[in-house]
Amino acid sequence: MTRALASALAGLACVAAAIALLGDAPGPALRALVAGSLVGTAAWTATLLKTAPLLLSGLGVALCFRCGVWNIGAEGQLLAGALAATALATRGPADAPAWLLAPAALAAGACGGALFGAAAGWLRAWRGVSEVISTILLNFVAIHCVALAVQGPLREAAGAYPQSDALPLAAQLPALGRVHAGVLLALAVAVAVHALLFRGAPGFRMRAVGLSPRAARFAGISPERTGALALALGGALAGLAGACEVAGVTRRLYEGLSPGYGYTAIAVALLGRLHPLALVPAALFFGALEAGAGAMQREAGVPAEAAKVVQAVVILISTALAAGPLALRRPRAAEGAR
Amino acid sequence: MHALLGQNGAGKTTLMNVLVGLVRPDAGRLELWGADLDLARWSPAQAVRAGIRMVHQRSALVPALSVPENLAFGDPRGGPWFRARRAREAARALAQRYGLEVPLDRPVEALAPGERQRAEILRALDRGARALILDEPTAVLTPGEAEALFASLRRLRDAGRAVVFISHKLAEVEAIADRVSVLRAGRCVASRPAQGLSAAELGRLMLGDVALPEAAAARAPAAPPGSPRLELVGLSAPGGDEASRLRAIDLAVGEGEIVAVIGIDGNGQRELEEVLAGVRRPSAGGVRVRGEPVAVSPRALRRAGVAHLSGDRESAGLVPGMSLAENFALKGSYDDRRFFRRGRFDLAAARAAVAGAIARFAIVPDDPDLDCAALSGGNAQKLAVARELDGDPPVLVAANPTRGLDVASARFVHEQLRQRAAAGAAVLLISSDLDEAQALASRLVALVRGSLRAVPPGSDRSAIGALLVGAPA
Repeated sequence: MTRALASALAGLACVAAAIALLGDAPGPALRALVAGSLVGTAAWTATLLKTAPLLLSGLGVALCFRCGVWNIGAEGQLLAGALAATALATRGPADAPAWLLAPAALAAGACGGALFGAAAGWLRAWRGVSEVISTILLNFVAIHCVALAVQGPLREAAGAYPQSDALPLAAQLPALGRVHAGVLLALAVAVAVHALLFRGAPGFRMRAVGLSPRAARFAGISPERTGALALALGGALAGLAGACEVAGVTRRLYEGLSPGYGYTAIAVALLGRLHPLALVPAALFFGALEAGAGAMQREAGVPAEAAKVVQAVVILISTALAAGPLALRRPRAAEGAR
Repeated sequence: MHALLGQNGAGKTTLMNVLVGLVRPDAGRLELWGADLDLARWSPAQAVRAGIRMVHQRSALVPALSVPENLAFGDPRGGPWFRARRAREAARALAQRYGLEVPLDRPVEALAPGERQRAEILRALDRGARALILDEPTAVLTPGEAEALFASLRRLRDAGRAVVFISHKLAEVEAIADRVSVLRAGRCVASRPAQGLSAAELGRLMLGDVALPEAAAARAPAAPPGSPRLELVGLSAPGGDEASRLRAIDLAVGEGEIVAVIGIDGNGQRELEEVLAGVRRPSAGGVRVRGEPVAVSPRALRRAGVAHLSGDRESAGLVPGMSLAENFALKGSYDDRRFFRRGRFDLAAARAAVAGAIARFAIVPDDPDLDCAALSGGNAQKLAVARELDGDPPVLVAANPTRGLDVASARFVHEQLRQRAAAGAAVLLISSDLDEAQALASRLVALVRGSLRAVPPGSDRSAIGALLVGAPA
């Protein structure tokens, strides 16, 4: 906890230094960053809307990392989920009951993400393909699948822009005040992933494989199959994030839908030290950073890229301080006991 | 040409580490061609400068590079540039000079084991080796490849190099060595010409002539062997290398019987253990429990009642980072309904169960939530024993179960094995510790180059030693 805070603060200090180097006054820029993410309803709305996809896809990444599977493909899985949800909502059967549409879109999103995760899992389990390579490559596959879809089969009826039709109202997530229900869903999923990891048999096996694949194999747990399951589940969570994004925020599918949520998700998972509940504040931190970056650009004229510097520095410092949460950690009590 | 023999743990590796500079000796002198070496500043670099090179069992070549590239790699004489043609020519000339023919254009990883070993020797010679040490050079070779290696080594000897090779096999010592030295418990017990040395003599030298502990068989004579509980039928399995491939093993362990498989490491013990733990697929034959064939998988074997205890922590299936309670439940993650029901892990039940085991076996520290990585070797093994004996399994496979344990912990493990057998279980002990095997087992068999050989009852150390180094029965 202290380490996570330290790395977050160090990141902010570095961005102040970077802004000063660029020739701007760091004070107003940082004030805009904080004001744009934390002060007032509009700022909090923006922060929470950015937090939801980061938390969901971060949970997917953390689940895989716990199992010793280095899933770098949350971005692609998120896009696959957005694509699947849009396809179902805009091209699905027209006579489906309205109440079913939003849950079905979310389920379709989870399936789309799971499919991409499972593809990498299958390649890893049966052909020994490194998941780092396959998930990165699948990111590009997903990006181009979205491009193909919005220019072809899913293109809006009006045909003006390369984007999908707006999702029917019934398929959109209900609003909770100014944010959508996906924010609440993300919190619930964090609790569910925690329960799965520490109180569920599949999560038990994933942790065993992540901590010692050889010992797990002797205990009758197949590292390959368990890893593939983790990838599919992790992909489903990222896919859910993508579905929430189209059904709750953008209302349409288009290229460049995600500002790199799936990559920041890795940072969220690491800053939260792969602990599902600790991922909530970690996602909030990066969500606030995303939201504040826009404000900083508008109000203080500092490029939003400066906020990316914070992210990068936080990732570097948190990974260095944690030194691989799986590798060097030697807690007295095993984690599952807490 | 000097052969160095000794049991596991006799000090061979330490001695070789001294020669190559990894260990600085406390006392004594080291002479090379009559010249004293400076031991006060002895280091790997010094050893290389003196011309002592070692060829390890594990290849030290870069797999993706060809032999000439490997020779040039890290060689300061080459300067900053790699000259492919010159390197290839130098490698070819060197290979020809010593009769160590190797393909020069393929990456090392594409070479056969014998070729790789020749490449390894070439590299040592290329750096000006005057004394060459080979650590069990034939372990990975087929008989034909070994013969070719011996021919090369003879040429090296005739060219005036000193060759030391470490071996467990009598036949090759006879075939190639001029002198033989035997280490036992850190002392050189014999150093004599290889000519006319008998297998029995060599076995006695390696294992010593102290009387064996009273055989378990003699102490509790012949309870009529119960019906077979565990049977291996024509079991063959691929091995880590040529010597450790399992070849058509037939073995039956009866009710209440402790059978020990003895042998020198690297002759298939690990492979046998892995098959019986279910993580290595047999290529032929199979395993029967109480006469019923059982699939070789960890879960099927466990369900059939085969428990597995190992001296190796990872094989023992203890997961560092998980608590004592979680480790106790580990092997039941698919089918043990006490701890796992409908996809849920019942931590409270696991805590309660491990608390019972902690009390029964006096495991310290006694906290069920403690990370098991914090346990000492003895206590970790107690935890493994508690888990494996939980539910009174009818068959127990124990592989070097006391390796690395202190005396008290080892005694505890032995006692548990005896009690299991007394309660009617079939116990298969795989051990490289002859004393342990003799003290526990009612019957000994030897695993030599992947095949089982009967050990005649009442054999003494020299007879057993001769059997283990591969003398014809």
